Amino acid sequence: MARLELQEICKGFDEPVLDRLSLTVEEGEFFVVVGPSGIGKTTLLRCVAGLEVLDAGRVLIGGTDVTRIPPYRRRVAMTFESYALYPHLTVFENIASPLRARKADRAALERRVGEVARLLRIDQLLDRKPHEISGGQKQRTALGRTLVAEPDIFLLDEPISHLDAKIRHELRRQFHTLEELRRVATIYVTHDYAEALSLGDRIGIMGRGGLEQVGTAREVFQRPTSLFVARHMGQPSINELACELAAEGDAVRAVAGGGSVAFAVAPAHRAALNGGTGRLTVGIRPQHIAVLPEGAAADGRQIVEARVEIFEALGATGVLIAETGGVSLTALTSPDARFEPGQPIRLGLATDSFLYFGADGGRNLHG
Amino acid sequence: MSVDQLPLPAAALDDAGRAAAGPYPDWFSKRRRGRSLIVNPLVPAVMVGLPVLVIIAIVIYPTVWMFYHAFHDTNMMSLFTRNWQAVGWDNFALVLSSDRFADSVLHLLRYLLFGACLQVLLGTALAQILYEVVQSNALRIVLLIVMVLPMMLPPSIVGVLWKFLLQADNGAFNHLLIKLGMLAPTDRIEWLDADLALWSLIIADVWQWTALPLLIVYSGRVSLPPAIYEAARVDGASRWLVLRRITLPMLKEIIAIAFIIRFMDAYKFVDKVYVMTAGGPAQRSELPVFIAFQKGIREFQVGEAAAYAIIIFVVAAILITLFLQYLKRVLKAQGIA
Repeated sequence: MARLELQEICKGFDEPVLDRLSLTVEEGEFFVVVGPSGIGKTTLLRCVAGLEVLDAGRVLIGGTDVTRIPPYRRRVAMTFESYALYPHLTVFENIASPLRARKADRAALERRVGEVARLLRIDQLLDRKPHEISGGQKQRTALGRTLVAEPDIFLLDEPISHLDAKIRHELRRQFHTLEELRRVATIYVTHDYAEALSLGDRIGIMGRGGLEQVGTAREVFQRPTSLFVARHMGQPSINELACELAAEGDAVRAVAGGGSVAFAVAPAHRAALNGGTGRLTVGIRPQHIAVLPEGAAADGRQIVEARVEIFEALGATGVLIAETGGVSLTALTSPDARFEPGQPIRLGLATDSFLYFGADGGRNLHG
Repeated sequence: MSVDQLPLPAAALDDAGRAAAGPYPDWFSKRRRGRSLIVNPLVPAVMVGLPVLVIIAIVIYPTVWMFYHAFHDTNMMSLFTRNWQAVGWDNFALVLSSDRFADSVLHLLRYLLFGACLQVLLGTALAQILYEVVQSNALRIVLLIVMVLPMMLPPSIVGVLWKFLLQADNGAFNHLLIKLGMLAPTDRIEWLDADLALWSLIIADVWQWTALPLLIVYSGRVSLPPAIYEAARVDGASRWLVLRRITLPMLKEIIAIAFIIRFMDAYKFVDKVYVMTAGGPAQRSELPVFIAFQKGIREFQVGEAAAYAIIIFVVAAILITLFLQYLKRVLKAQGIA
């Protein structure tokens, strides 16, 4: 049982991957790292595990500096994206391997492996070889191998990314409920934002060189510190409008698409934008754009006339892509709605919920 | 006829939930099978026929010829006069009851045990050292090339080379031992003498062929997934445990293949014997194949030589079949085949 501290860790290969990254994961915390592929999420885990030698910085586990200590003395356990099961050993032997490495006695080993296998519901598979079980069962075996080790830190690398949707949901539930995982510090890496929002006590969004933002699910989703973060949270992804601000009396208007789309900046946001003119990017989540029926009240929304481009009914929701003044907007609708391409519609924009990002670097202007 | 009008199976599913056979659409029963794209039927006949003729000429005819003469008292004279008598199993009885053959089998066993096995063991150990201990990639390549060099020499040349090295009076090997103080300056080790001749052959062969199992096992080791070894590092497995529990079991089949290759080569181990000792002195380093060669090509005892060849062939075929079955079983257990 211990907390994990990363102090300004640096690691580069052909180019810097982790640039002075600092992070503390408390004991019992489930920390999810999310980000696009190739950004260095796995490298981060490998640095914590000790499979990579740091270029600079320190790794502390339970207050002890383990930067120069080999993996097996760090009391960490890691699952690999490829599962890394031993193909010639049975499920039982795969799960038992950390205990074998520690020369645990036979009885304790069998008891512990049995416990873990029952917990993960793979106890009927213990005699099988990895090639005889399904992807979800392989994943559970890999997880079992980390659980028997009873480590201080769990490192899970894309544990359920390569499974089909149904099993992914089932295993996601398992990560919610597994006491063993919830007791200690866990870093969970994924590229799926929904997994991150669902599982993470805190979430770190990884960008080039390090974590762009660290916060709870609510924080990173509702108050992203940068356009990068906003872009990677939410599906369909956020609408980005390159705008220019224009003062107009006591109101400020943002003008996009060469002046063809214009809307008033909500009063609450005006202060943050310095009231002045300038270029910026407006982020509009698809759920903040509503399709208004004929004659419906604006209800505080900004009305925009648009034309339907594509409509996808996805069962639980509908995704509408509409065009207005040379700008494409994605909106979430009810799946029962019917839209024909080219059909004129009225969109209501909830300007209160807009996000404003600086044109250079994409910092959130609300801070 | 549109898709909707295609006759659909009446009872679509049987008890097991599979689609039942028939009735099928018209085109299915009327389609012509085995239509070839080649216009002239002579083309495939010639393309297959020529190689078949060649194989008949150089493999099948001599083999049949050999089996025929194994049961006749054919020798040089009778070959010229075309006058040979059927003798039944006499040739085989002659071979199997001769001390010379029994000795040569013992020699072969010794050669297999200390030659082929040693090569595979050494090759495996060297491959492991090369992969795990040598860190620099450049050094690894240089070492690999150096170790593979002997394999590129013709075996007869290697035989000549080692015959020189092992000369009792002015051979480099004895000279080295004297320099190292392991041998008194006046002493000589008669490497090619009766007691040591077979061992000298084995040394020369190990020197030349250890690189083959080395290459095979090394390439097998390189192809093992690195993630597994990282998992083992996180688990805290010691080097010895990783070797015993992961590397060797996963390389088991590869090592078996290396052994089978060396094993099969052992049966045709004639060249070095011929060059270095000619089976001597006093037939103390003879192997069965060498006797067959002596009998057939030197003494023209064609019948007896054919019996030798058939005995060797049968034993080798049995052993190799057993090996292949072992291999098949292991590969099946791993889900590869």
